[in-house]
Amino acid sequence: MTEPVAPGALAGLKVLDLTGELGNYCGKLFADLGADVVLVEPPEGIASRRRGPFLGETAGPDRGFAFAYMNAGKRGIVLDLGEAEGRAALARLAARADLLVESFAPGTLERLGFDDAALWAANPALVRTSITPFGQTGPFAHYAADDLTLLALGGLLYLGGYKDDLPVAAYGEQAYQAASLFAAVASMAAIHVAETKGQGDRIDVSAQEAVVMALENAVQFAELEGTVRTRYGGDQRQAGAGVFACRDGHIVLLAGGIGANRFWLRFVEWMADEAVPGSATFAAPEWLDAAFLKTPAAKATFLDIFGRYAMARTKAELYAAGRVRKIPLAPVATPAEILDSPQLAYRGFFVPGSVDGRTVAMPGAPYMLSETPWRMARPAPRLGEHTAAILADPAWGADEPRAARSAAR
Amino acid sequence: MSGPLDGIRIADFTWIGAGSYTTKMLADLGADVIKIESSIHPDSLRLSAPFKDGKRGIDNSGYFADRNSSKRSITLNLKTADGVALARKLIACCDIVANNFTPGTMEKLGLGYDTLRQGREDLIFIAMSTHGSEGPEAKTVGYGLTIGALTGLHALSGLPGREPAGTGTNYPDHIPNPGHAAFALLAALRHRRRTGRGQRIDMAQTEPMIAMLAPAIMRQAANGIATEPAGNRDPAAAPHNVYRCRGHDRWIAISVPGDAEWAALAGVLGLARPEWATFAGRKSDEDALDDAIAAAVAERDAGALMAELQALGVAAGVVQTAKDVLLDDPQLAHLGHWRRLPHKVMGEVTFNALPFRFTRASIGPHAASPLIGEHTAEICRDVLGLDDTRIEALAAADVLK
Repeated sequence: MTEPVAPGALAGLKVLDLTGELGNYCGKLFADLGADVVLVEPPEGIASRRRGPFLGETAGPDRGFAFAYMNAGKRGIVLDLGEAEGRAALARLAARADLLVESFAPGTLERLGFDDAALWAANPALVRTSITPFGQTGPFAHYAADDLTLLALGGLLYLGGYKDDLPVAAYGEQAYQAASLFAAVASMAAIHVAETKGQGDRIDVSAQEAVVMALENAVQFAELEGTVRTRYGGDQRQAGAGVFACRDGHIVLLAGGIGANRFWLRFVEWMADEAVPGSATFAAPEWLDAAFLKTPAAKATFLDIFGRYAMARTKAELYAAGRVRKIPLAPVATPAEILDSPQLAYRGFFVPGSVDGRTVAMPGAPYMLSETPWRMARPAPRLGEHTAAILADPAWGADEPRAARSAAR
Repeated sequence: MSGPLDGIRIADFTWIGAGSYTTKMLADLGADVIKIESSIHPDSLRLSAPFKDGKRGIDNSGYFADRNSSKRSITLNLKTADGVALARKLIACCDIVANNFTPGTMEKLGLGYDTLRQGREDLIFIAMSTHGSEGPEAKTVGYGLTIGALTGLHALSGLPGREPAGTGTNYPDHIPNPGHAAFALLAALRHRRRTGRGQRIDMAQTEPMIAMLAPAIMRQAANGIATEPAGNRDPAAAPHNVYRCRGHDRWIAISVPGDAEWAALAGVLGLARPEWATFAGRKSDEDALDDAIAAAVAERDAGALMAELQALGVAAGVVQTAKDVLLDDPQLAHLGHWRRLPHKVMGEVTFNALPFRFTRASIGPHAASPLIGEHTAEICRDVLGLDDTRIEALAAADVLK
């Protein structure tokens, strides 16, 4: 007998996902906690189906890893919103939904007849979340954007890259995903109100603004100390803090930690125990002085002494030493090493997913909920895979105006 | 003030980065977040730069302030039995307990989940350590930067052939981890509302970050191909990079997915060449393309060029500094992103608002960050129901510090 599957924390929620790469991750977060999430696509499919990398390095509408991952757990329907029938079907679904997430250009859904008043007239508790590059209104609202330009305008791009070279963007379309993540948080907060008070809300998410949340303390440095934080790749941020080459790659070390020097003494002890040549100098009091640590001389001394030690050791050896000695030190891990991580294996993090019918390891639960476990219920939908089933689903209003059913393609 | 999470109360043991940002979001959304700290062993972010006017002080850190808006602060000496008893009494008045300590710390304080859940079937408890509560690496100390390294973010971000650069920040602390933790807590609150049952949430801070890097992981797993850092390049666009403009360290990001956008860009920069008219032509000659664009924009003003290109539908964005986003961004100003709030020591300072707007609900930040222990007496009185005599006695016994 198989064990019964515990209902997800979001069981019973109905979500319409009318997004692309700006919002697909938002819908996934709902789906994996048990919501019924329906990905609504135009007849040609959403653009993220054409986004690589692909299974077997061969393009195909179901072969993109990002599409397969971000839309796993959802069902899929095709609606042509350029046609009255498609719009009628959407209206019927929206009347039954708890949440509608969309990432059209500002005003698009309104022009199709789906303004807030119309949506709420049919469904007063509906939460509608709009994700756009810059928000619904304002001087940039209609600017063209992609992940790179959003990272640029959001200020994160300036902080990445090398001291002596150009700013470099974070990998992985983080602006889109940040927008998705904050959209999910905002939507859940609004659903909390909708389910307790019966009143929906409309949420306006700006991806640029989402990126701004990643600026750490850079804005406060500008405001309070009048300094502009810059990128420091290729250098130590301060002596003892940065990326260091080792025998089989790189490690990150924060010998001084953040906001305190509590790790420094442990580091000094480590170097002494290992009798690292030259490390006696680290015991001098100047190594606890923040101003000294910022000097090129301090960085050079540190690199000379520790760099030589690190070069003779592997990432794994250094990581183990850092763990034992409680010093923040981590390998700069590659995807292959991450897939082999004993810690992630212990937690069962990677799960078998499906890409175009083939089983592929995917990141699994980003959080373990003891009572309502995370679960990826199904592969990403093929284009229109569930159109007929959803239009016939009483939970989505199938007993209502039957004309809408013929909207299926 | 009616926020979406009005009526929810959180016993907040989080500190430093990701944990504090999680509860900040919930506080800005209306929850009563009570930060439990101690002046004996303060949140190290309270002593992290930048400081107002550069003056180091426990209530003077802008970094701490931004991460702790809308919260209240109580100081409890958890090394005393009375302090722990008060913490447990406070937790009894809360819906959620949050911490981001290394595993075992809450248990050592007598505040582990298994203890707290006794008689509290509805309690929601979140632990967000670096590696999760158990496993061979569970006790490793971590920060956003080391988490970025462990998860592939660092290795995947940089220029080909150089040491990886990462984001230059503790990125996982700011978006992946607080975002996922807040979402999980809101989902757990829904489950509790419907069933009366709380639960334990165990979040390893490495895992949300890896979730946000899925394509490179899956490509390795399925295709056996290691994704290498590619600078700012993108297989689906050309050009797709940043280019130096006039002035000190000024850059513009330009992204051209299609031929129409290229024609517009080439027109502005005088770069129309037949061999670059198609995507394939541009992609196969991308080094020369980037060099030509770099030469053409070197004396341009980044802001003016962005406006000119955007008027033609070309995705272009100034590579803004933190000062730019704070002072010179008309869009963020239009959205009201920056909130000036009075802080009792720092005076009026700027806070990040949440990066979204609600039409109906009122969201914060409602108040600046608390001074250390600012609300100790108030919470003792109003939440814990202690009278002034008892509060004074506890203070005299060093329990409230």
